[in-house]
Amino acid sequence: MQINEILTLERTLFGVPGGSKKRVLEYFSKFIAQQIPQLDAEEVFSRLIAREKLGSTGIGQGVALPHCRISHCDQAVGTFIRLRDKIDFDAIDGQPVDLIFLLLVPEEANEAHLQTLALLAERFSDEELRKELRKTDQPEQLHQLITAPIPS
Amino acid sequence: MDNLNSIFLIASLLLCLSIVASVISARVGMPLLLLFLGVGMLAGEDGIGLDFASFEAAYVIGHLALAVILLDGGMRTQMKTFRVGLRPALSLATLGVVVTSGLTGLLAMWIFDLTLLQGLLVGAIVGSTDAAAVFSMLGGKGVHLNERVSATLEIESGTNDPMAIFLTITLITLLTQEVADPLSALLMFVKQFGIGLPLGLAGGWLFAWVLKKLQLPTGLYPLLVTGAGLGLFATTNLLGGSGFLAIYLAGLMIGNSRSAKLQHILPVHDGLAWLSQIGLFLILGLLVTPHEMLATALPATLLALGMILIARPLAVLICLKPFFSFNWRELAFISWVGLRGAVPIVLAIFPVIAGVEDAGLYFNIAFFVVLISLLIQGTSLPWAAKRLKVEVPAEFMPKRRSLLGVFAEDDYEVFVYSVKSETLDGVELRRLRFPSGARIGALFRDHQLIHPSGSTRLQQGDQLCIIGREADLPVFSKMFNEEPQPSKEKARSFFGDFTLSGDAPLKDVADLYGLTISPDQASLTLGELLTRRFGGHPVVGDQMEWHGIRWVVVAVDGDHITQVGLKPL
Repeated sequence: MQINEILTLERTLFGVPGGSKKRVLEYFSKFIAQQIPQLDAEEVFSRLIAREKLGSTGIGQGVALPHCRISHCDQAVGTFIRLRDKIDFDAIDGQPVDLIFLLLVPEEANEAHLQTLALLAERFSDEELRKELRKTDQPEQLHQLITAPIPS
Repeated sequence: MDNLNSIFLIASLLLCLSIVASVISARVGMPLLLLFLGVGMLAGEDGIGLDFASFEAAYVIGHLALAVILLDGGMRTQMKTFRVGLRPALSLATLGVVVTSGLTGLLAMWIFDLTLLQGLLVGAIVGSTDAAAVFSMLGGKGVHLNERVSATLEIESGTNDPMAIFLTITLITLLTQEVADPLSALLMFVKQFGIGLPLGLAGGWLFAWVLKKLQLPTGLYPLLVTGAGLGLFATTNLLGGSGFLAIYLAGLMIGNSRSAKLQHILPVHDGLAWLSQIGLFLILGLLVTPHEMLATALPATLLALGMILIARPLAVLICLKPFFSFNWRELAFISWVGLRGAVPIVLAIFPVIAGVEDAGLYFNIAFFVVLISLLIQGTSLPWAAKRLKVEVPAEFMPKRRSLLGVFAEDDYEVFVYSVKSETLDGVELRRLRFPSGARIGALFRDHQLIHPSGSTRLQQGDQLCIIGREADLPVFSKMFNEEPQPSKEKARSFFGDFTLSGDAPLKDVADLYGLTISPDQASLTLGELLTRRFGGHPVVGDQMEWHGIRWVVVAVDGDHITQVGLKPL
C-alpha cells in the first residue's frame, strides 16, 4: 500500500492546538466523524485511548502514529496532523511530539494493517522529511511531502 | 647496579612497546594478548636474544597476575547478571570443564601417542576459558552481546579456572606418585571448593564492610583491595582451598557493594589487570623457544582444532541444552567463544615445576592450543556474533558520568549530554518526560551557565548536566541519543517500530491487531507470554515470531518484561 492511498489533502492538517495527548485524540475523533459520517467519534476516541494504554504510539523524534481497528470502516483512513506546540505523548524517547499520523483500519484488516504502520514508521524516520514537515505551512505541500514516492 | 638498570630498561621498553602496539592491533582486529605474546617472543631467544628460561619465575608471576586479573574480573561482574547467567555458567565451569578436558585429553592421547593419564593431563591444562581474552576482544570491538550469552560467558570464565587447576594438580599427583589414590583426590576436590567458596565470600564481605567504614586518602583504597585480595588468595591456598576461586568471589562481593569508593578502586584495578595481562604474556612469550616447538606445531594445531570444533561444542551441548533455554544460535556462539588465554599456559608450567616426565611437551602443546585459539576464535568473534545474531544494539551512553559523592551507597550521579536532535530544538524543558527522581542541574550554552527552569527552551548544541540515578539512564539515553542516523535505524529495525507495555493484557493486544488466541492465553499479559517462551528468564533482544509478527523484548526489569517491540515480518 502507498501512503497516497490513505491520506487525502482534506485530512492533512497543520497548526492544530495541542494541549495534551487526550485533547489531540479527542479533536481528531470529532474531525474524522465529520469527514466520514459513518464513523462514530466516541468509538474512535475510546479505541485510540485503549491502544495508547497498551503502550504509547509515540515512536520517537517527535512522531506519533496512533492507530486502531474500527467498525463501519471500509478502508484504511489516514490523517496527518502537525501540532502548533509540541506535546508530551509519553513517547519511547521521552521527547515531545508534534507530527502525528493517525491510522484507522477496518475490523477485518490484520497483517496488512501492520505493514502500513511499518511503512509509515519508515517514512517518518527520514530526518529530512521531518525537517521539511516542520517548516512548511501549506497543506498541499505537507500532503505532497508525505505521499511522495520514497526514493530508493 | 648496571645489571639492575638494564633489567629495568628492558622491562619498561617491552611494556611501552606492548602498549603502543595495542593501538595498531585494535585497528587490525588482532587479539591484544596475541600481540603481547608476540612482543615477548620477538624479544626472546629466537628474536633479539634475551635469554629467559626460568620456569620458577614465570610460575610466580603467573600466579600473581592471574590472581589480580580474577580480582578485577570479579569486581566487574554484576550480580544482577546472575539472574540469567549463573546456573548455565556453573554447569559449564564444572561439568563443562570435565567434558572438554576429557575429550581433548582422549584426542591428545591419540595424536601424541600418550598414556591415558598423560593425555588427560594435557586436556586438563587447556580446559578452562579465559575471561580477559574474551572480554578484551568483545569490548574493544564494540560488540554488544545479549545478556544471557554475555553473562554466561563472563561468569563461566571467572569460575572455571579452579576446576581446571584442580584437574591439573590431581593428574600431576597421580602421575608422579606410585600409588594412585582416588580417595585423596576426591578429598582435595572437596577442600578446593569447600574452603575456597566460603573464604572468598566471607573475605569479600569483610573487605567491603571495612572499605565502607574506613576513611583513607583516595589513592589508598585500590591498594588496600589489592593487598587484601592477594592476602586472601595466599591464605586460602595455604589452607588447601582454591585461592583463584576465593579471590574472584571476593572481587565479586566488593564490586557489588555499591560503595561510592568503587569509583576510585575500579580504574586503578583496570590498570593493574592490564599490567598483569601484559606482564604475563610477555613473560610467557619470553619463556618459549619457538624453534624447539616447530616439531609440535602441526599435531598441536590438530589438537586445538579438535578442541574448538568437537570437544567444546559437545561440552556446551551437554551442559546447556537439556537444562536451560538457549537457542541454537546462542549455543553455537558460546561454543565458539571457548577462548583460551593465560591460564592454560600457566597451568602448563605446573608439570615442569613438579618434574613430570615430558613436561616440556605439555608446555609446548598448551602454548600452541592457546595460540591457535586466540588466532582463530579471537579474531573471528565480532564476525561470529554478527552471523549468529547474538548482538543487541548497544544503548547510547552519556559522554560523561560521575558519582556526586553525596551518599556512601547508592549515590546520585551527574550525566552530561549534549543536545543534537532537531526534535529537541526549541522545546521547553517541562515538555520532556523526566524520571521523577532526576533533575537538570545545569545547562551550558556558548560557554555560559544558564539557570534551567521549566520554561527554558533547549537549543541544539546545549550541554546538559543531569543529576539522577543509574536506573534513570535508559530514559536519558533515548531522549538525548546522539548516534548518527544509520545506527538509530539499525536499532529501530532490530527492536521494531512500536513498543507495547509488557503488562498489556494479551486479549487486548489480540483485539487490537486481530489475532486469535487460545482460552488459556486470555488471562496472560503479553510479557508473561514471552517470559514463558524464553524459559522464565528473558533478556533484552529475545524475539519470537507469532501471528506473522516479530515480538522483541525491548526492556526487562529482572525477569519481568516491561517493554515489547513489534514489527511485521
